[in-house]
Amino acid sequence: MGILTGKCTFMLCALVACAPAVAPAADWEIELDLRALSSDGRESFLDNGHGKLRFDEDHQGIQLGRLRAALNQPLGEVFSAHVEASRWDANDKNPIDLTEAYVEYRPYPRAGLRTRLRLGAFYPPMSQESRARGWATPYTVTPSAISSWIGEEIRTVGLEGQIDWLGTRAGHRFDLELTAAVSGWNDPAGTMLAAHGFAFSDRQTTLFGRVGAPQPDPALAKKELFHEIDGRPGYYLGVQARYLDRAVLNVLHYDNRADPTAQDPAIRDFAWLTRFDAAALRIETGNGWTALLQALDGATYIAPGGFWLDWKFNSQSALVAKRVGAHMLAARYDEFAVKFHGSSAAPGSEQGHAWAWAYSYDRGEHWRLALEWLRVASNVPARVNVLGESALAVESKLEFSARYSLNGTF
Amino acid sequence: MSRLAKSVWIRRASAAGFASLALCCAAQAGSLSASVRQRDGKPLVGAVITLEAQTQTLPAATPVAAIMDQMNLAFVPDVLVIPVHSTVQFPNSDPISHQVYSFSTARKFQLPLYRGRAYPPVMFDQPGVITLGCNIHDNMLAYILVTAAPYFGRTDAAGEWVVTSLPSGKYRLRVWHPLINEPQEVERDIQAGTERESVDLRLTRPLRPAPLTGRPHSWEY
Repeated sequence: MGILTGKCTFMLCALVACAPAVAPAADWEIELDLRALSSDGRESFLDNGHGKLRFDEDHQGIQLGRLRAALNQPLGEVFSAHVEASRWDANDKNPIDLTEAYVEYRPYPRAGLRTRLRLGAFYPPMSQESRARGWATPYTVTPSAISSWIGEEIRTVGLEGQIDWLGTRAGHRFDLELTAAVSGWNDPAGTMLAAHGFAFSDRQTTLFGRVGAPQPDPALAKKELFHEIDGRPGYYLGVQARYLDRAVLNVLHYDNRADPTAQDPAIRDFAWLTRFDAAALRIETGNGWTALLQALDGATYIAPGGFWLDWKFNSQSALVAKRVGAHMLAARYDEFAVKFHGSSAAPGSEQGHAWAWAYSYDRGEHWRLALEWLRVASNVPARVNVLGESALAVESKLEFSARYSLNGTF
Repeated sequence: MSRLAKSVWIRRASAAGFASLALCCAAQAGSLSASVRQRDGKPLVGAVITLEAQTQTLPAATPVAAIMDQMNLAFVPDVLVIPVHSTVQFPNSDPISHQVYSFSTARKFQLPLYRGRAYPPVMFDQPGVITLGCNIHDNMLAYILVTAAPYFGRTDAAGEWVVTSLPSGKYRLRVWHPLINEPQEVERDIQAGTERESVDLRLTRPLRPAPLTGRPHSWEY
């Protein structure tokens, strides 16, 4: 409770620290995303299963994709507050909960340089895929394995600073951005990767929510991921280079610096020492083509009683999309692997790949319609030991998404 | 224009990509037609052409009150050419706020966050290229070219620009476009007669990629 209070207090301080004398009008947005789907997915990772899909064969037909509300409130001239809240499904701990909440300081550029600060809870700047509002992907319905994991387990709760060299505003072809952040309240990051490996899901874990359904047995209770356990802040460092508005390259090194021997009985979890390097490259052409490459490589550790356990993980993703006006076709291929203690055959290890094909249609300001076919093939040894099933599973789903959004000002 | 101001103007313009041409018109008043083509022969649409008198002093064109609007997360127009000492107003026709800035040498300014109402017009009293941005939406990019030239204009869909009733004398013709990729100067003498003089320029390098447009509303960037 103390930890929870600490996180609340931190975010509240972030939101009120820059309270303005006069508040300009705020922008708001509300969005409802309904799905109609057919799925042969195994029991979902969200229900303690080893299925890779958000919607398994018990969750077909009409489903809530997302109910989202967002608010951007300028605070004076160079400060602004941003709040993102979502509802996902019946397993949500709270009826609606925050996915991001932060205050941004964005002064004017000086001599081609601009500094930016963000204080609160937000995503690290590593995804070139999640470029739509609400950290969603515009290319498909379901994001890549990498973005799915980031949405599930990673959030910066802390302070991030950026410095931009705005070369394109001074006659050059390149912009360059350096990012550094100090963060906390994310010590359980890595626990889901060890528990169920990678997954394919657009559900983002909320700041005060949990992953999955509540369980009668507290030993099986799903995890609440945004907690500080060891009192040690983590950090990340990133670089982004942009060529005009055609190509963007991101590189990020992340280390939550958790003490893997620390644990918190209140949430029945360890502090997972999680480190990774991530890179993303997006190239767009003038005739509507997009190529997007992503790579993630890292490891997560716990050391109960001083005995170190490690899960190394990696994933790569390649996407090609073609946009013609409001219509877009996209194809994506993902590879992913988790290796427990150096053995790919051990429980806790996995490997797999996935194909996604999607068509989307942005109709004016309010509607987006999308159809996606996703097929995930995975080899998970734990299926044999825990479920008595074959380790190999091929899951697929056909999903139609209809999203309606409204926005305005206060 | 002072020597310093002229030097700044030439340097900035060159940095953005430039082609210039000196030409001589007949003693009588005449007219000039300029044609600008890309390397592949296609017309360069919207290229800015300025014509500066070299052998006599002609005043800059009459200052104007221009408008640079913001619509659908873009500046409209993307390129604005104005005589020196002109003013530009920056209304915001978007339903969301913008924060316009320039840190270009020719005119530094910033307009704090606003929507709907426009701030008082901004005066541009020094020739040069001003690059505009929005501090909230990094994809927004536009240019204001401030010129002391007595004659200027932009090429049409055929890549052509025509000026008539030119007083006799020698002129320097410059071509500017935000996507031109080749800072260079070309000088040529042309004897003007009673017929219309024509100047044909052809770029030797391809243009820079044009900014992407038409992103769906739900995309954040």
